[in-house]
Amino acid sequence: MNRLSPVVAPRLELAEKKRWLTGLGVVAPPPLHIQTPLFEGSLASLFACVRDRKLELTDVPLYPICEAYFQYLLQSQIDTLDEAAAALAALAFLLERKAWSLLPTPEAEPEMEDELSSLPSTVHEFGDAIQALRLWHDERSRIHFRTSEGLPQGYELPFTLEDVSILDLARAFERLMRRANPEPASNTSRPRRSLSEVMGQLIARLKAEPAPLHHIVPLPIARSEAVYWFLALLELIRLAQVRVHRLDDELLFARPD
Amino acid sequence: MSPVDRVHALLFVANAPATTTELARALALTEGQVEQALEILEARLAEGGPVQLLRIAGGHQLGTRPEYAESVAAFLRPQHSKLSKTLLEVLAVVAYRQPITIAEIDQVRGVQSDYGLRQLLERRLVQEKGRKPVPGRPVLYGTTREFLHQFGLDNLNELPEAEGARPALPANLFDVLEQRS
Repeated sequence: MNRLSPVVAPRLELAEKKRWLTGLGVVAPPPLHIQTPLFEGSLASLFACVRDRKLELTDVPLYPICEAYFQYLLQSQIDTLDEAAAALAALAFLLERKAWSLLPTPEAEPEMEDELSSLPSTVHEFGDAIQALRLWHDERSRIHFRTSEGLPQGYELPFTLEDVSILDLARAFERLMRRANPEPASNTSRPRRSLSEVMGQLIARLKAEPAPLHHIVPLPIARSEAVYWFLALLELIRLAQVRVHRLDDELLFARPD
Repeated sequence: MSPVDRVHALLFVANAPATTTELARALALTEGQVEQALEILEARLAEGGPVQLLRIAGGHQLGTRPEYAESVAAFLRPQHSKLSKTLLEVLAVVAYRQPITIAEIDQVRGVQSDYGLRQLLERRLVQEKGRKPVPGRPVLYGTTREFLHQFGLDNLNELPEAEGARPALPANLFDVLEQRS
């Protein structure tokens, strides 16, 4: 007996009022309703629960959910391909996570002093290498250098952004992407743009008075253009050519002093 | 001041392996002169004393001799953590088959490797090396300079020969096409 009854609910009824941003990008997947003994809610909620490891996906069959997605494609009037793509991305993520979870999990092992003789046959060809690595690691631990903290991190900003975090910058990017338009089909074969060219344009548009990113970038704008502008902004921040302030929840950008 | 003493001074203050190029640039010497100075310094330090010159992680660095490990450890109290069998397995697979995707690591080991790989990423022994040009563009992983440093290797060619550890066949169609071209 199939106890599961995923259905495609009317979109307007189940549409989440707040079009929250997801890990998938700036477009939330369509409100596909999923009903199983373990989980009931939208596809976006299922995605979030699995991503945050709040739900064990092993017991949630994905076949009916995929069927629901196909029904959604066939029955609904899709406004944009973005929603369908977001749902497809969510499904792909769920399928991948489930595939991972179905792989055999190695048993918990003691952290120290374990014997290499019990290597699984699939990695037996690495046995000598593993033994050598272990020996070298032990030998190396008897040599001390000026610093015991290891090598410095490969990349560090030469200055601090004070109260501005990388997440704040990500939110500024998401806000810009929400204002951006889908790519026109005719633009698929457009020539590549130079990032330095966009950096030059951005410097010209920055003012002494701090302003949010969507006031600086010329609108309307295509998504690929928005990505260019944001990358240019990041590079200018790295070069200390942009001042960044935080005002409440908004980041403001201005020329350096 | 001789070039040997100047190189010695730089290596004394360096907190990471210094390459011949970096030393040459800092001292306004040719790389050949620096190499010569390093050889002399290495021989001089080998005559005795608690410090040795090591070629490690693609550079040169001064380190204490193993005979002084207990004394130094009692002073520094380093927090060395040994690598578990799982981590060593994943690390060996990455080291010999890099660049490699997590799915390929799973295929070799026959079990999930995401936990081990995550641990190695946190320990900075492994890092992303790009994307594989196949559907899905999975992340490719490889070892880091920190890996070389923690295992006392100068470069990956110093890894021990392991029968069968290196792939005998091309990993995918792209490799096949590349080999044919």
